[in-house]
Amino acid sequence: MISTKDLTKKFGDLTAVDHLSLSVKEGELLCLLGANGAGKSTTINMLLNFVAPTSGSATINGLDATRHPIKTKEFITYIPENLMLYPMLTAIENLDYFSGITGRQLAQSSLTGFLEEAGLQKDAFHKRISTFSKGMRQKVGIAIALAKDTKVLLLDEPTSGLDPKASNEFGNLLQKLRGKGVAILMATHDLFRAKVVATHIGIMKDGKLVQQFVADDISLPQLEKTYLETMNYKEVLS
Amino acid sequence: MIIKTFVKETKESWRDGRVRIAFLIVLLLLAMAVWVGVRQYQNVNEQYRTAKNTERILWDNQGEKNPHSAAHYGTYAFKPKYPLSLVDQGVDKYVGTSIFLEAHKRNEAQFSAAADQTGLARFGDLTPDFILLFIIPLLIILLGYNSFTKEREMGTYTLLKSQGASNWKWAMGKWMSLFIPIFAITALLFLITGILLSNLKDFGVFKWQSLLTMFVIYMGYYIIFINIVLIISSRAKKSGIALVLSLSVWILACLAAPKAASNIAEAKHPYPTRQEFAANVLKDKKDGLDGHNPWSKESKLLEQQVLAEHGVDSLHQLPFNFDAYRMQKGEEHEAEVYFKHYNYLKDQFAQQSKVYKGLAIISPYLPTRFLSMAVAQTDYATHWDFADAAEDYRIATQKFLNDHFAENSNYGDWSYQADANFWVGLPSFEYDPPELGEILTDNTSSLWILGAWLALSFSILLITTKTI
Repeated sequence: MISTKDLTKKFGDLTAVDHLSLSVKEGELLCLLGANGAGKSTTINMLLNFVAPTSGSATINGLDATRHPIKTKEFITYIPENLMLYPMLTAIENLDYFSGITGRQLAQSSLTGFLEEAGLQKDAFHKRISTFSKGMRQKVGIAIALAKDTKVLLLDEPTSGLDPKASNEFGNLLQKLRGKGVAILMATHDLFRAKVVATHIGIMKDGKLVQQFVADDISLPQLEKTYLETMNYKEVLS
Repeated sequence: MIIKTFVKETKESWRDGRVRIAFLIVLLLLAMAVWVGVRQYQNVNEQYRTAKNTERILWDNQGEKNPHSAAHYGTYAFKPKYPLSLVDQGVDKYVGTSIFLEAHKRNEAQFSAAADQTGLARFGDLTPDFILLFIIPLLIILLGYNSFTKEREMGTYTLLKSQGASNWKWAMGKWMSLFIPIFAITALLFLITGILLSNLKDFGVFKWQSLLTMFVIYMGYYIIFINIVLIISSRAKKSGIALVLSLSVWILACLAAPKAASNIAEAKHPYPTRQEFAANVLKDKKDGLDGHNPWSKESKLLEQQVLAEHGVDSLHQLPFNFDAYRMQKGEEHEAEVYFKHYNYLKDQFAQQSKVYKGLAIISPYLPTRFLSMAVAQTDYATHWDFADAAEDYRIATQKFLNDHFAENSNYGDWSYQADANFWVGLPSFEYDPPELGEILTDNTSSLWILGAWLALSFSILLITTKTI
């Protein structure tokens, strides 16, 4: 579903992503860990064709994201760190609009169904987004993915700033989507959440994918130690 | 997606209190302007009818009188108020409403509405054309300045792009969300105006197709503004910058460009001063036949010519009154002098108009203004047409009077008095303004320029939104 081959992005002298090759299949969730500037978000931006790669390729469902930017986006839903929706519109109106712009005409009952499935309280369906917390907005984002029948979910720090309960709920939603066969790529700093939700975990440093594990093969303390060692955080380790 | 975006944008705008208030203010202003306009139109039309009838009664009831005395007594040509002046008053307020028609002299139109007002008139009037030309473009800016910038500022742009939204459809949705409310508000104004005018008694030459033409012109003007505002919004980094840039365009297009164009046109093709004009006319009049002066060189020459033509050696032997004949010939010379000097003024006006209309390429306001005034029959061209028609009538009146005097009296008989019933024989002054087709033909350049603005702004919008 998601794959990159020797994907590279240079901004002048800086190599943000360096010959990155990865693959996320249906029902898999790859968490990319790494410090700020490691190249996680740039990778997602190249998959979305927001940024053109310097070399290499990024493909979604077998299609090159650079050459088929519109077609590949038919399969993708993207939830950034701060999912921003239209504050003057209600949750259901936002969902209707964002699913409608891709040509889907959904009945009111379907829209409420998706919001329910995403875990949003019923009394919030007709409230304006301006009154929503970040966690509630992320749920609307998941509802957009559900309504779109998305094949690929790209998440950039989706749980940062969420309280543990909201973060847990969000994790459960990701598991639900994974169960539906959605391929998920999530950039995060949250080692705990990565361990809980991911099927695969990768650690990026200086644009390179330096470590990669099957999530079940590594414990949380081991993951933390490996991460800190990879990042060369000697003071923390001592 | 176009409809979805249109509905979304409309909901957002409506829920934003500022937009609701702005809309209500514009509607209120329009309602007031139309109400004031209708009252003023009725008032002026009533005055026009009363003055025209009174003047005709006075003319018809002069009693027994010498025709040349009647020529000096004179009459008035009144300029009718045209129905669409309710929408666009144009230059009507400044050019005078009636022309005094008398022997030997072509007079300017007098009694302008502006002359009856105090210095406060400089502040302008609340008229529909003011709202249509200045306020609605401002409303477009208020509605649309942040159309694209808000998406970046709110962060919704990223989600939209990631959903694979088509730029063109997205932009068209936003375009529609600006166009539909502006279309609705303008259509409402024109519809109410049309209904009011067609229900007024003696509404004269009002035609729905003229009103529709005017509506189409204004919609073209608004579409250009919508395109410009969206182009700016799609390129600007922030809403504040988009607002300032859009307002700058408004100031340049609606306020600065017309004044600059007017100054350039006047500087390139200046009118003579009133004193110069009067002195030139007087000089040329003196160089020809004066109907009142039988001893001048020109009169003597005419005398010899007429005597030779009729094969007689005394003016008393002529079958008509030579005094009246000479008077008519004097009129004809004076009419030629006026024709020459007014033609020069008209040429200067035409040259100024050419410059002014040429400069319309710098602002969509200018061609819209020209077309609006022309269709409303409140522009200078219509006023010139009216003044020329009044002059033709004056010349015909003088001939009617002088011929009667010449044919019904003998040479030297200044005591001749025409019958009391004679005066009704003079046809009334009726002025038919140019038809819509003729008006549009005369303003083809403005139509082309407005069309070019439309095509150019649409093309730029298409290009800029492709690369958002």
